[in-house]
Amino acid sequence: MARKYTAKDISVLEGLDPVRKRPGMYIGGVGAAGLHHLVWEILDNSIDEAMNGHASEIVVTLHKDGRSITVGDNGRGIPIDRHPRAKKPAVEVILTTLHAGGKFDEGAYKTAGGLHGVGSSVVNALSTRMECVVRRDGHKHGITFSRGKTKTRLKKLGPARGSGTEITFEPDPSIFPKTTFDPAVIRDRCETASYLHGGLRIVWTNEVEGNKESFQHEGGIEDFLQRIVAERKSRAVNEEPFVVRKEHEGVRIECVMQWTEATDEKLLSFVNGIPTASGGTHENGFRSGMGKALRNYIETHKLQPKGVTLSTEDLREGLASILSIFVADPQFQGQTKDRLNNPDAQTRVDGAIRPEFEKWLNANRTSAEAIVARAILAARAREASRMASAQVVRKSATRGKATLPGKLSDCIQPGTAHSELFIVEGDSAGGSAKQGRDRNFQAILPLRGKVLNTEGLAPGKVLQNRELHDLVVALGCGIGKSFDITKLRYQRVILLSDADSDGHHITTLLLTFFFRHLRELVTSGRVFIAQPPLYRVDIGKQTFWAAGEAERRQLIEKADGRTKPEITRFKGLGEMMPKTLWETTLDPARRRLLRVELSDPMAADRTFGDLMGKDASSRYSFIMEHGANADLDV
Amino acid sequence: MDLVEEAVPLHEAARSRYLNYAVSVITSRALPDVRDGLKPVQRRILFTMNQQGIRSQAKHRKCAKVVGDVMGNYHPHGDGAIYEALVRMAQPFVMRESLVDGSGNFGSLDGDGAAAMRYTECRSAAASDRMLREIGLGTVDFRPNYDGTREEPVVLPADRPNLLINGSVGIAVGMATNIPPHNPVEVCDALLRILDNQRKDQDTQIGTLCRIIKGPDFPTGGHILSSAEELERIYREGSGSIRVRCTWSEGEVSRGSRSIVIDSIPYAQNKAVLVERIADVVASRKLPPLLDIRDVSAEDVRIELDLKRDADVQKVLAYLYKHTPLQQSFHVNLTCLVPVGEGGAASPERCSLKQLLKYFLGFRMQVVTRRLESELEALKARLHILDGLAYAYDILDELIALIRESDGKSDARSKMLERWPDRFDEVQANAILELRLYQLAKLEILDIQEERDEKRARVAEIGELLAEESGRWAIVRGEVAELKAAYTADDRFKRRTLIEAGDDPEFSAEDFIVAEDNVVLVTRDGWIKRQKEVRDITKTKLREGDALLAVEPGSTRATVVLFSSFGVAYTIRITDVPATTGYGEPVQKRFALKDGERIVAATSLDERWVEDYTTEGPDGPPIHAFAAASNGFALRFSLAPYAEPSTKSGRRFARVAKGHEVVGVSLVNGTETILAASAKARAMICLAASVNFLSGPGKGVTLIKLAPDDRLLGFKASEGDRDLLTVETNRGATKTISTAKYEITGRGGRGRELQRNGSLAKIVWPELEAPPPFE
Repeated sequence: MARKYTAKDISVLEGLDPVRKRPGMYIGGVGAAGLHHLVWEILDNSIDEAMNGHASEIVVTLHKDGRSITVGDNGRGIPIDRHPRAKKPAVEVILTTLHAGGKFDEGAYKTAGGLHGVGSSVVNALSTRMECVVRRDGHKHGITFSRGKTKTRLKKLGPARGSGTEITFEPDPSIFPKTTFDPAVIRDRCETASYLHGGLRIVWTNEVEGNKESFQHEGGIEDFLQRIVAERKSRAVNEEPFVVRKEHEGVRIECVMQWTEATDEKLLSFVNGIPTASGGTHENGFRSGMGKALRNYIETHKLQPKGVTLSTEDLREGLASILSIFVADPQFQGQTKDRLNNPDAQTRVDGAIRPEFEKWLNANRTSAEAIVARAILAARAREASRMASAQVVRKSATRGKATLPGKLSDCIQPGTAHSELFIVEGDSAGGSAKQGRDRNFQAILPLRGKVLNTEGLAPGKVLQNRELHDLVVALGCGIGKSFDITKLRYQRVILLSDADSDGHHITTLLLTFFFRHLRELVTSGRVFIAQPPLYRVDIGKQTFWAAGEAERRQLIEKADGRTKPEITRFKGLGEMMPKTLWETTLDPARRRLLRVELSDPMAADRTFGDLMGKDASSRYSFIMEHGANADLDV
Repeated sequence: MDLVEEAVPLHEAARSRYLNYAVSVITSRALPDVRDGLKPVQRRILFTMNQQGIRSQAKHRKCAKVVGDVMGNYHPHGDGAIYEALVRMAQPFVMRESLVDGSGNFGSLDGDGAAAMRYTECRSAAASDRMLREIGLGTVDFRPNYDGTREEPVVLPADRPNLLINGSVGIAVGMATNIPPHNPVEVCDALLRILDNQRKDQDTQIGTLCRIIKGPDFPTGGHILSSAEELERIYREGSGSIRVRCTWSEGEVSRGSRSIVIDSIPYAQNKAVLVERIADVVASRKLPPLLDIRDVSAEDVRIELDLKRDADVQKVLAYLYKHTPLQQSFHVNLTCLVPVGEGGAASPERCSLKQLLKYFLGFRMQVVTRRLESELEALKARLHILDGLAYAYDILDELIALIRESDGKSDARSKMLERWPDRFDEVQANAILELRLYQLAKLEILDIQEERDEKRARVAEIGELLAEESGRWAIVRGEVAELKAAYTADDRFKRRTLIEAGDDPEFSAEDFIVAEDNVVLVTRDGWIKRQKEVRDITKTKLREGDALLAVEPGSTRATVVLFSSFGVAYTIRITDVPATTGYGEPVQKRFALKDGERIVAATSLDERWVEDYTTEGPDGPPIHAFAAASNGFALRFSLAPYAEPSTKSGRRFARVAKGHEVVGVSLVNGTETILAASAKARAMICLAASVNFLSGPGKGVTLIKLAPDDRLLGFKASEGDRDLLTVETNRGATKTISTAKYEITGRGGRGRELQRNGSLAKIVWPELEAPPPFE
């Protein structure tokens, strides 16, 4: 940094003709990418100047013709003194000689994006016109070229303030089939560069469309990440992103990470300011360093989840990050520069990120725990989807393919005006219901045993329960924030449980669930309670079912004179033949349904709070107060 | 489309159904009846076995058969639950007096389940036979079973207070029960005492009962620690917690070790789990004097603990009582169903011991009364017949002639009723017609007369008993006394559980720490570890970019205090610091540091390192702490409140203004000079003693008045001219501050300007050195 940048720093390696013969070798092709590559070469030179602390502003101008571009900076200016070996001004040597530049010896520049020193001379060789203006030592100096050959020698153009370089070029149409630039691409690149180099001001002027923008981000990559996260519209998991800026064994590493609730991973990586879309060794280092640190943290604090193992993908799910590194000697695969190949970059990046990130995790427990929870969630979701895909994928008439619970016996026309879902207690009753129903519009979902008490539970916890998860999937309307009643697959949701005490318990548990978590189903009058018969009356060889006391008496009167009727209290749905179940309970023409309505939300809220809540004393007083009124079974 | 579609308000639908469920569970599932001490499923099992003749003298029968009969006839619920209930009634470690006699694998104290019901066999135990002996005598009400095809007893005519003897466990809705088993002899004695007092028209005090029933008597033995007063309160109120621990004796003492033999464990504890928990203690070396554990139990319980020869047995046990189920609490809750009014309806109630006993006696009274009533009825019927027979002998010849002339039995009967309408009724006529010829012999009439006299006497006797309660009470008493005699004669019913009030022996965590001198290393990034010795401090393993913050020597029994940038002190016992030559562990693992909170200083409180830190004021003993914050505030405070290990959240030692943090904490004795430097290159050199000593955490006083954008970087408590503070400027140069160079001022000023331009980057701390070993 302290050394002066003079002609001594310039080394000469070869002539320029090969460039015009085989441009592809230098710029990766003569298509649009190659054409824009010319701009990047010049722009990167200015950025290098800025990165090394000599420039603070870069001006990029696309001229009115759409084919010529000027890139200027307020850096030190390309040296203009005579090069000792080439006997020419250094600026001329740099712009006309392949492999000439200040970036080989790690002297004048520490790190640079323009590589192999081919940069500006290649651009020169492939331009019909190139003009370079250097402000240095109080004067303005100008030199012009055409197709790599000097056209007018370096001369003073007059006095000037400050220092800087300004290069204007126009690509050669005999090389490039198309020589008009795409302003959007250049604009994007300028903006990205302004993020990667926090504080650097880049002024972008588009004379074709007549607009001008200035990019400057003091926050650098943090601002960049914030923008990306905002664009993805996903909530951040850790409020404060993890940031590391480190200079380590000659490599400058900048990295920022933030986990979001999105399910994909987004990593933007750059080497010396150049986007590396295909990744490379630095990304590998980033991933391994991040992963190891997070795993170390999980292990140290014993946060390993039970039942699932965290895969590397789980750790990275929802991670939005930017990795920008600066290395002295970047090796890219191909001249398109989008995959870093330096083997040592992996260990360097890993070695820089791992300790820093682990330290940050330890020092920011709230964020760390949120991140670990996010990873565990990802692992569980992965496990769940694996299990779901193992299940039979059923076809459903209205919704195309949907993974419905395997236990659901769907109807032929869900979603129609008469469609109904019977939630049945137990597999034994489910069997009768399946056989007794009208398959056209009646679906059956058997539930096993007692349903989870959902009073006071978060929707996430509710969905962890297998039975309720299946129920929600079968309903199709979602739960919590994703609730959408228009997606409800059935017009009516009918609770069908045994008329015994456990059946009543299951009904209250389900009502709790609907009231607390799917209240709109109740308010819109979709929830019903089926009324299976209460008595079985055997008269001779015939069996009758009575729904209530009155009906029972009628039956007995009818039986008078014949055999003595035997009356039993009905025990469970499994007792009935499917046909009987249809006749008494399922057939819309004959059954009795209770529609559950939310007439008094306050009373309902209090009731469920008292009966199903955590406080046993309110339950106790309710039972003691009303116990005498209960009708019982044995 | 629907024929009937009524609407029901959600809360009402939920209430009525929930109520039905709750009351059903309470009255016919989870709670036992105070009279026979049985839950419905148990009662149905015992009744079924009795009906099927699977009694104590019969052959064992397959459990599956019994379960099937119970389920089919009386209990329409899951077979698993029925079998489980049956198994429990047979387990000698659950029941004080088993009600079922099992054959085959019925599980063990180690938590092994019983074999499947297709393998095991059972029959009722003698006690259950006795409890059902009076079932056919009209002693209890019956009700139809679930499908109306049979009748089942509402309650069994139990001859013994089964609820207290065997206890009961159940969780209902809104209430639960947990009644411990009791000693049958004691319970009988208590019943007898109540009866005796009653005869004298005296009420029995709960205190009296508690002197007889000293406390629960678990089938698994154990030792109840609760005092007589505590137990009396529990028995009076019907709930409370009793502490139960194992019983043990000293085993062999050998050269290097001694042993303890545990011969009983707390009730309802799984022995295998208990042994595993103690083994965990051994494996984790938390209790160095405990060397090994062996479970050599067979029928009995025998767990051997190997201890170091010099171990303090009481302290080792104290540790195990606290950390393993070797001592447990048993939460007594004497809730059961009690009869309300006629008809056997029952409702839940939490009873006192006295109530439980009195309910039982009341029930016995009812059983005896109804037994007598039914006997009386039978006697009267028989007498009626005997009367007929007696008269028949008087008119024998005429009667025979009449019978000979009639056409068959019914003709004979009608002729008899016609001829002697006032003498015979149909029942008597039938009885006469069914006499055998030999019964016409002379002697038979004497027998009849004799029987008639006997029966008449008995009728008179019963009449008296039924007219007067006291006679029946005497019967009740007699039966209880008989029962007691039977229990007393049986060794199984000697008290097994020791009741002896005791306290948890005192012990402190320090007792089990192996005293050893260690060195604690704390890094700037907050990693902590301890090592036995540090030869070369520069070679200790550090995370990349990390550096040592403090190297503090101390005994494993001493503590080390970590001071955080947020003004919180975290104290940990040195033995709890991970001993490793690796990285150690982050302090955040042990303590709940907030986001961004760092450790800025640490000190060992080993008294050889800090001779006396128990300062309570500025004039107290010399060593205390000095802390300064980035806003230029400083304070001095005593270390005494931070000496004992803290919780995860630590203890506050200073209050720091928002946006600022504690930059350092240093031990001082009040004679030092404070050398402090700020980012804007201002230095304060003042006496430590000039900074106020606070008695509690506070923000302190101004050490140096800083410009709004300035921050204090750090300070040093200097002990003399050569004890310097070195700082680095933003240009990389170093500067020193010392009392030799600058003069001491008062605190609170703006400080001395160290340089005109530029700022200070950081304080350069001297390399840490390994502390010298203690002598």
